[in-house]
Amino acid sequence: MITAGIDAGSRTIKVVLWDSEKSAVLNFGAIDQGIEQRRLARELVDRLSNTSGTGRLQITRTVATGYGRNLIDFADANITEITCHATGVAHVAPSTRTIIEIGGQDNKVIRLDERGTVRDFDMNDRCAAGTGRFLEVVATRLGVPLDELGALVQKSRRPASISSMCAVFAETEIVGLLAGGRHPADIVAGVQAAISRRVGAMAGRNLATPICFTGGVALVPGMAQALEKALGHPVGLAPQPLLTGALGAALLALKM
Amino acid sequence: MNGAPQKIRLDEWDARHARLCAGGLCEPDYGGTLSRHVGERGDERLRHLLFDNSAAALRLWNFLLTEEDRLRGHRLAGRKLVGTMKDLGTVPVMVFALPNLVAFYPDGAWWTPCLMEYSDGLFKVADRLGIDDSFCPVRAMLGAFVTGSHFPIPELLICSAGAVCDDFSAVAQRLEPLGFPVFWWEVPRRRSPEPGVCLPGGFVASDDQIALARSELGRVRLALEELAGSSLNDAALSASIRAANLVRRRLRALRDLAFTAESSPLPALELLIAEMLALHYCSDRDETVVVLEGLLAEAQARVAAGQGVLPADAARVFWVNPVADLRAMNLLEECGGRLCGTDFMLGHALVDIPEDLPPLEALARVALADPMIGPTPDRARLIGAEMQRLGSEALVISRIPGASHCAREGNIIRQFVQENFGMPTLEIEVPPLSDSLVPALRSRLRALVETAIARRTS
Repeated sequence: MITAGIDAGSRTIKVVLWDSEKSAVLNFGAIDQGIEQRRLARELVDRLSNTSGTGRLQITRTVATGYGRNLIDFADANITEITCHATGVAHVAPSTRTIIEIGGQDNKVIRLDERGTVRDFDMNDRCAAGTGRFLEVVATRLGVPLDELGALVQKSRRPASISSMCAVFAETEIVGLLAGGRHPADIVAGVQAAISRRVGAMAGRNLATPICFTGGVALVPGMAQALEKALGHPVGLAPQPLLTGALGAALLALKM
Repeated sequence: MNGAPQKIRLDEWDARHARLCAGGLCEPDYGGTLSRHVGERGDERLRHLLFDNSAAALRLWNFLLTEEDRLRGHRLAGRKLVGTMKDLGTVPVMVFALPNLVAFYPDGAWWTPCLMEYSDGLFKVADRLGIDDSFCPVRAMLGAFVTGSHFPIPELLICSAGAVCDDFSAVAQRLEPLGFPVFWWEVPRRRSPEPGVCLPGGFVASDDQIALARSELGRVRLALEELAGSSLNDAALSASIRAANLVRRRLRALRDLAFTAESSPLPALELLIAEMLALHYCSDRDETVVVLEGLLAEAQARVAAGQGVLPADAARVFWVNPVADLRAMNLLEECGGRLCGTDFMLGHALVDIPEDLPPLEALARVALADPMIGPTPDRARLIGAEMQRLGSEALVISRIPGASHCAREGNIIRQFVQENFGMPTLEIEVPPLSDSLVPALRSRLRALVETAIARRTS
């Protein structure tokens, strides 16, 4: 049986096709999010199913997750990112007890029991602090493409101190730091530390380990280390962190 | 009971109302279709809510939405109006002890911007007076006083101060220079841990705090006597306490039945509205009892028939704090949850006022049982105990935007519940109109429901 998981995130749509007979990922892919989420998701599913030699009709069930999941009307069900990331991470890193997921506009701390079931979770509220949006703001202000932030941060020697948790206020601080001659790499490192502090505050005390870091922001070099420093615990990176939500959705489709 | 329990839209209610009338529905003088409130009062939000389809629920809504008419009727009948602000339930008991006085709750205007989807302009008036959106939406009350378009200006305004919400005090203080004098009475902060008297509901207050509250309520009594032109004796107060307890008992019976039934017999939205009646009785305490008895009878009939408005497997959610946007209560149910316990900050208005004590002593103790005037850990403990008693599976703390207490209390309550009961918790912020946030709120509520349900089998 082939199932599809679609994670319609705020920045990217991710799709995973799961082959239950082989118990393996059949295909996967991601495209930038857009206004026509439904069409974009449909095209991605079609492309992935065609290139894997199955075709759309062989997909038995589809589960959508993510911010835009309700718009994916061809899915058989929609399930929240919390449950899907938990399922995806429990599959790729079964010993995980805490998941930190940072996406384009959300961040989440998900606590799992020994069976991989969600015990509790925290999510950012209405504010973009501690999300990928914060990194976008700094990239725009520094005039650096988002995907080059990771390379830039490697050059940091002394991360700047960003005191504000708010992305809007932090932008003002960034302007001030630039005017003061701080190297952009130090500013990016400072922003990563600020995001990590925000997530650390949300995670609170008594973090259960191992911790697995997932979501699009996990792909940014330096973020996992910044999180480790803020949390005081080792942070493992999920394999293909962009895809854990879609993988979880595809796995949950099997159980329906 | 008249037909299967269901949640229906406003336009569906009109058709149902016609059918109920054809079937002999007997309505009070404030009865009629729900949709008329949109045309007559601009309550546009009603178009976006789902309502219970019972005649009892219709009566509840009509009772609530016609309070302004009732207040004007009282005035025409020569009764004097007393705005009882902030104390949430104690002073109205004193007001209703005097036959020519009627209490109402100007704070209730905080729902007007939601109901009228901002067309009321009340926030704009408050903005101009320096009370912007960094304050609680109860700032709408300021606008209502200035425009005079939502309730008649009362002859006397009584407001509690001190340990009660400082946002509210900041808002109410603006009334004085606008020409609306306020009679202030102080509520001392309940300290903990401290030996003292066990209050109704389970908190403890020291003798000196009770004495202060009693003395303050004595001043309130004098102010009411002056307005009424007659004495407020203990016998009248005791009778009013007994009448208030009648309302409170009906509400407790309704809540307990709704929260513990296998399938919820009434929706969260109607339960919220019903609970608010404990504060102010919509300016008619006798009718409040009738409305609550109707709801209770409906709920009992549904439970007896094994019927409910939600699936039996809905996640059992305890909800903390009232929501500025009524739509949020619908949203909980759309996400697969049901109400299974509440702390809408008015627990002291739900407990029995002692009938075996001198009346001012009894009222002082109940005033001090306000969950908001003591340390938040005390409130958290009470919430935890209620969650256990009612079999809750998850906790939602709904922050009121701008309300300063919300910034502090949420984490404390969540942490207590997480650490002591291991239950999933969620803190959300609900603005007066949450439409643009519905996807985010839906995600969070749905995730909480999924988590609570997954834990049943883990």
